Amino acid sequence: MSTEEILVGAVAYDAKVVPIWDGIRAHFREEGVAMDFALFSNYERQVDELLAGHIDVAWNTPLAHVRVQKRTEGRSRSLGMRDSDRDFHAKVIVRKDAGISSLEGLAGKTLAVGSRDSTQARILPLHFLKEAGIDVTQVKQLAFDTDLGKHGDTGTSELDVLTALKDGRAQAGVVGDLIWVLEQAAGRIDTSVLEPLWTTPGFDHCMFDALPTLAEPKVQAFQRGLFAMKWENPKHRRILELEGLKEWLPAREAGYASLRAALDAIDYW
Amino acid sequence: MTDTPAAIAVDTGDLPLGGGLLAIVRPALDRLAHGGVLAVLSSSRAARDDLSTWCRIERHEHSCLTDENGRDRHLITRGALGVPRGVREHDVTLPQRVDPLTGRPRITSADVLAAAPFPARADRSTGLAPRGARVEPGGPEYPFALVERDRVAPPEVAQLFDQATSSQWDASRDIPWGDVRPLHPALEAAIGQVMTFLAENELSALYVPSRFIARIHPAYAEVAMFLATQMADEARHIDVFLKRARAAGGGLGVSSATSSRSLLSLFDPEDFTEASFLLSVLGEGTFLDLLRYVEEHAPDAATAEIARRTRVDEARHVHFGVAHVRHALSTDEALHRRLEDAVRRRAATLHDLASVPAPIHDALTVLAAGSDEPRAIARGHERYRALLDDMHEGRIKRLITAGFSPEQAQALSDLHTPNFM
Ligand SMILES: [Fe+2]
Ligand SMILES: [Fe+2]
Repeated sequence: MSTEEILVGAVAYDAKVVPIWDGIRAHFREEGVAMDFALFSNYERQVDELLAGHIDVAWNTPLAHVRVQKRTEGRSRSLGMRDSDRDFHAKVIVRKDAGISSLEGLAGKTLAVGSRDSTQARILPLHFLKEAGIDVTQVKQLAFDTDLGKHGDTGTSELDVLTALKDGRAQAGVVGDLIWVLEQAAGRIDTSVLEPLWTTPGFDHCMFDALPTLAEPKVQAFQRGLFAMKWENPKHRRILELEGLKEWLPAREAGYASLRAALDAIDYW
Repeated sequence: MTDTPAAIAVDTGDLPLGGGLLAIVRPALDRLAHGGVLAVLSSSRAARDDLSTWCRIERHEHSCLTDENGRDRHLITRGALGVPRGVREHDVTLPQRVDPLTGRPRITSADVLAAAPFPARADRSTGLAPRGARVEPGGPEYPFALVERDRVAPPEVAQLFDQATSSQWDASRDIPWGDVRPLHPALEAAIGQVMTFLAENELSALYVPSRFIARIHPAYAEVAMFLATQMADEARHIDVFLKRARAAGGGLGVSSATSSRSLLSLFDPEDFTEASFLLSVLGEGTFLDLLRYVEEHAPDAATAEIARRTRVDEARHVHFGVAHVRHALSTDEALHRRLEDAVRRRAATLHDLASVPAPIHDALTVLAAGSDEPRAIARGHERYRALLDDMHEGRIKRLITAGFSPEQAQALSDLHTPNFM
């Protein structure tokens, strides 16, 4: 690996990942930061390659992030996150005609859930339901295990959940609050049919991870390039819109404890 | 005075976020500057968390209190991102003027321009936003080249646009075509030749402005809109001239290489003012005298009406060209020299074009003669020579109106193409 160029790994969860990273690379070069990217087809491979030292930085889902931290015994470095990665929630959405007025009412009903590696559409909502005292074995799960390896990035399984709710194949479903609100804001939710029942506690989402051995100048160059992207700059804005953020923010670690607890409980490390 | 309040309160009833709440919240936020506070009174249980998530996505600060009646009071502090630039238009109510012909109220483009004047400079990053709109930052830059008022937008343009739109006519219906009768073959052939020449020149007047429309910043949209009416006029002129050529068996005449070379050189200027000067002030200006000549010697009412109507339109095109050049000259000392150079460059590329193309020279002579009888032709020849003098004098007058000295005007007129346009 080049001693100067920073090699960033990202998962190609969508065709738009190529223009996103082409754009970020062009921006980094304008900032005088030599950066290139490598695309992986799934997060498990990306984490392995980071740990093997084949890439400098990995743009990771929360699941990949906590796995990197565990496998580096907490010594990995977190370099930054999106504004939209902070204070994420999951929602339990119900059909209004299902007669579910509390979490206890889920018993015996069909609950649509997203991919088993999706933090917001499966792992954490089920974890928080258990924490709230709900026996999820009493709930019939209708699972949409689409795009495995992408950790829910595509959002496909969340849209599958909403479609199943709309069609009446499920009386309840879990999705991230981001998709729930964005779909509503775009006018694609019939609020006479669906309503939110419950909101989980908050948790944080994606993170740029690096090995503890990454040279300090590279860390600083990467963060300088990242934080120089501005929403008001037309070239940057295109990329930020595609990547789903308005501003890159410094890393914070407080928002991943619930995910670690969930992974312990279901043994999904 | 601004219309940016510090705080607004709205009541969204029991609307959920995806059921219409945003249609109240977003326009209200739009009236606030960064830091302004919106209070949203809501009895929607679903909106409690959803509005908070939406604010997180949009980067507004959000807090929510529940009052004693169980209703939520959301407080949203507008974030810094995506706040449109500029001040919202206020106190703009366009006057309604009674049309003297119909007695009905009119709203004119001149009044629109008075209410929302041209900026001295336009910003490429406002894209196609209409003048007066607030523009959200972060949009792309458009490749508009014409971004200075004094180079592109004379103050008269809105009035000329109003005139143009109310003066449109129909080449199928508004010409007394029933009056066309077969003429003496020599005269009919001359008519066909004159119409061919006119149509060929009109095509240049259709194409040349089209090259500049997409370069004009929308802050000066009235200029692009006026040019669009000019192009519609030229389209009608082309149509009506070709109809007349074929209306009574004359058919089309010859397109001469001289005309073709002269017209091609109108496509050379890359500068809008230079192109407008060559085409409208000098070329279309000269055509005013030509069309008056055709009207005067028209052998039938249809031909006379065609020449009259097209001349009225051309006078508007010339008016715009003269206004444009006069306005630009009054703000840019060096422009006199550049426009002179443009005329000289064009003359140099056409230096071997010593005289009017023979087919149009002859056709105009026969037209004025009314026949090919020798004594009539002698008269027609006299009239033709007088036309050339009229054209020269007319050009000098228009050049002086545009802002040139009599000496400059004399020299520029002498250098003008013998092709008239
Ligand atoms: Fe014309
Ligand atoms: Fe014209």
